[in-house]
Amino acid sequence: MNKELENSFVEQLQKHQNIVHKVCRLYTNNVDAHNDLFQEITIQLWKAYPKFRGDAKFSTWMYRVGLNTAITLYRKSKRSIQTQEFDNVQFKIRAEEYDDTEEQQLKLLYNAVHQLNDIEKALVFLYLEDKDYREISETLGITEVNARVKMNRVKKKLRTILNP
Amino acid sequence: MDELELLKKDWQKGTEYKSYDNSEIYPMLHKKSSSIVKMLFHISLAEMAFWILLTTVPFFISDNYRERFNTSYENPWFVAISVFGFLVIFLFVYLLFKAHKSISVTDSAKKLMESILRTRKIIKYYVLYNLVMIFISIPLSLIFEFNENKEFHDQIEAFDSTQMILLYAITFLVTGVFVLVIWGFYRLLYGILLKRLNRNYNEIKKLEI
Repeated sequence: MNKELENSFVEQLQKHQNIVHKVCRLYTNNVDAHNDLFQEITIQLWKAYPKFRGDAKFSTWMYRVGLNTAITLYRKSKRSIQTQEFDNVQFKIRAEEYDDTEEQQLKLLYNAVHQLNDIEKALVFLYLEDKDYREISETLGITEVNARVKMNRVKKKLRTILNP
Repeated sequence: MDELELLKKDWQKGTEYKSYDNSEIYPMLHKKSSSIVKMLFHISLAEMAFWILLTTVPFFISDNYRERFNTSYENPWFVAISVFGFLVIFLFVYLLFKAHKSISVTDSAKKLMESILRTRKIIKYYVLYNLVMIFISIPLSLIFEFNENKEFHDQIEAFDSTQMILLYAITFLVTGVFVLVIWGFYRLLYGILLKRLNRNYNEIKKLEI
């Protein structure tokens, strides 16, 4: 029975692992921290799996557990904080030689998103994943109106980071 | 916002992540979690154990203490206080386990943070309870000794009023400082441990105003 549960879990996680990778991409700055967070999210998903009911989509359920782990449960290693500082320095240099090419702009955007706080990152993440405000509000535990207001503020903040 | 749309387009294309296959995922399930909930729970248990041991170990290792303890039990007040003390410990242990069990990673981000902070609060109250008990038990034991211990009684009776005031002042001061130092250390420790959690919780709370 347990083996069966394990098999079906691994099967599903394998299929949807990109969601976990994307959470890791947003909340970490280097490969080691990425793998570390991936590992922790996997453990949390597995621990919560027996209570997972089929009425929710596996992927929707993963968003919640993944974000909760990244925001609240995961303890950042010192290494990732140092790298973040390094990234900011790089970002400042790049901003000076602002270039209009799409690739350059994307790099700047990703850097800007990395400078947001944990909650803002979660909003951006769900927005990028094309989630509607109802799902965003339910995942974070805030009202839909507040999710909208906050999202607008995050957009403004991103604009300020990009054009200081 | 055009930039965010650009980002969205790129994001949804997906980047090449290292794709784990099933044989790599299996061992991951059985690794140990390093989550903050687990760490806090272990610390909570250690704290409970510390305070329980602190109050029971002298009874087992010191004959003198045990003897005095046994005579104290002839006093019904002492029995009542001890029973009360044990009930409080059971109550806190029960509340701790209940709160810990209610922490669910599938709740919303806000609710999850609230359940973790609530669990923390129970231990905080337990420590506070112990410190308050220490603070009030010192003057109480002074009075108790005064009534029960003949030698001590005679010594105190010989004191003039200035010496009396001094004795009480010093007792209160020393106990107060001791209690405050422990409390300060405790707050500092948890301030550091829960810094990120508190910051994120405040950020989410701020959205409601």
